[in-house]
Amino acid sequence: MDYFANLVASGLIFGSLYGLIAIGFAVIYKTTGVVNFAQGEVMMFVLYFSWMVGTFVAAPLWLLLLIAIVVGGAFGALLERVFIRPMIGQSQFSIIMTTVGVAIVLRGLVPIFWGVESEPIDAPLKSQLYEFGPVMMLGDQIFALALFVAISAAAWAFFRFSRVGVAMRAAAHDETAALLMGINVRRLQGLSWMIASAVSGVAGVCYALIVARAPDMWQIGFQAFPAAILGGLDSPLGSAFGAVVVGIAASLSEGYIGYGLKEISGFVIIIAVLMVRPYGLFGEKELERV
Amino acid sequence: MSGALEVLNVQVFYNDVIEAVRDVSLTVGKGRIVALLGANGAGKSTLLKAISAVLYPEEGRLIHGSIRYDGVDLTARNADEIVAAGIVQVPEGRRLFETMTVEENLRLGGYALAAAELGEGLERVYAMFPRVREKRHAVAGLLSGGEQQMVAIGRALIGRPKLLILDEPSLGLAPQIVRDIFDIVKRLNAEEGLSILFVEQNARLALAVSEYAYIMENGRIVLDGPSADLAGNADIQEFYLGQAKGGERKSLRDLKHYKRRKRWLA
Ligand SMILES: Nc1ncnc2c1ncn2[C@@H]1O[C@H](COP(=O)(O)OP(=O)(O)OP(=O)(O)O)[C@@H](O)[C@H]1O
Ligand SMILES: [Mg+2]
Repeated sequence: MDYFANLVASGLIFGSLYGLIAIGFAVIYKTTGVVNFAQGEVMMFVLYFSWMVGTFVAAPLWLLLLIAIVVGGAFGALLERVFIRPMIGQSQFSIIMTTVGVAIVLRGLVPIFWGVESEPIDAPLKSQLYEFGPVMMLGDQIFALALFVAISAAAWAFFRFSRVGVAMRAAAHDETAALLMGINVRRLQGLSWMIASAVSGVAGVCYALIVARAPDMWQIGFQAFPAAILGGLDSPLGSAFGAVVVGIAASLSEGYIGYGLKEISGFVIIIAVLMVRPYGLFGEKELERV
Repeated sequence: MSGALEVLNVQVFYNDVIEAVRDVSLTVGKGRIVALLGANGAGKSTLLKAISAVLYPEEGRLIHGSIRYDGVDLTARNADEIVAAGIVQVPEGRRLFETMTVEENLRLGGYALAAAELGEGLERVYAMFPRVREKRHAVAGLLSGGEQQMVAIGRALIGRPKLLILDEPSLGLAPQIVRDIFDIVKRLNAEEGLSILFVEQNARLALAVSEYAYIMENGRIVLDGPSADLAGNADIQEFYLGQAKGGERKSLRDLKHYKRRKRWLA
């Protein structure tokens, strides 16, 4: 039983990392209809870059987080401006292939600039151990979990209540109608890239804190993408929830069945779920009048 | 012209190959109510999309000509700037955000407004359409067609536009609802001085409601004049008002006594 509980807790922690990336997928998809296949790579690049800046100013963890958010936002804006905006009017497929290209370039750049060694973040948080019944968690894990919960809630509230968030949903639903409302759709699309990349920056810091920074950390995208699909690619909160499911499933399958299953369990789940619910668990289904 | 919409020699292509509007000029004076008529595919919606700068999502492009409003050139402006200039369009098929509530739709219509103005705008729209107020928490996609059209018009009126463009507001609605909608449009025009440009398939209705009308065919304006004159025009009667004495429908442009439209020099 203790083993089970600890596997679930570990799944939850990794799920929260997947979740932050999955929210990034969902925010961009929801607003622009584009799947950004570079989400994991963006996380990695933003983390490395922020780390460099952070080291320079000897930043404590909270400041590193802030730097990652700012760097993430700026980098998202840059990507959108340079690679995505000029593609407006091209087919969805070519835009998605562009994001794949960006992903591959970023994977190549990181080791060139920062080497291939993996390095953990040193933070006082990491040495604090907390016990919840049979479950033990480290301070950095709780920190990541708390950030994940806070950002999921914020993303949900943003799309549900804020004027800009609702306008982003409107633009995703019907771009022409949104334009006719006087909504500057292109600006919102740029903003969605900024938000997604900033959240990815947070994910990067959490990842480096819990595991380490490493030039293969982009692979987290392989868990986050099925998580986003599972929850509904157009639903940030659903994607976050999907990530928790994928994280726990990965942890359990690895713990009980064997190593290697962790990587594929997410895809196994989505194949099973999408057969029943093609829009994901929380995706917005086209409404039909009855 | 102050407060007037002036479309001059506009030409629009889709995908760089399909010419949907060619050399169209049209004017909507301040406080006027103007109808745009024409058969399916004549280019009416395309012209309205060009005015509102929403061609690009459909790969459409304004190749030639200019669009001015209140003396200001709006030709290369973005859609949000057109709205800010006071020109708001209710598109064909209403295009509500169907998964959102009625009130969320209305609030989106007031996207650019300050909070206080938005509240005042909502109240004004609810006062104008009590039915919309009743349904304000309902999901927009589940309303009846008539209710949806009222939401669409309300959504356009929230920001107090100066020129309201309506693309086939009667589409798919029962005759009584259509009359209600046009009563509202006429009232807005008469009481608030709102300029109106609307597309309508029913020529009789369009000519009865409007002061001036343009008739489009194959991307061109083939006839225009005061609505009362057009209603009495034998050709219009024959081709649009269904009073022909038999024989196949010909194009208006094939007629001998086709009145040539004066051209503007761009
Ligand atoms: N997105 C598009 N891509 C390519 N061609 C288009 C597009 N939209 C319209 N067209 C073409 O442009 C021409 C004008 O279409 P438009 O929709 O403006 O006509 P309309 O007068 O509004 O017709 P209706 O009365 O049916 O609404 C048509 O030949 C149509 O096929
Ligand atoms: Mg049309």
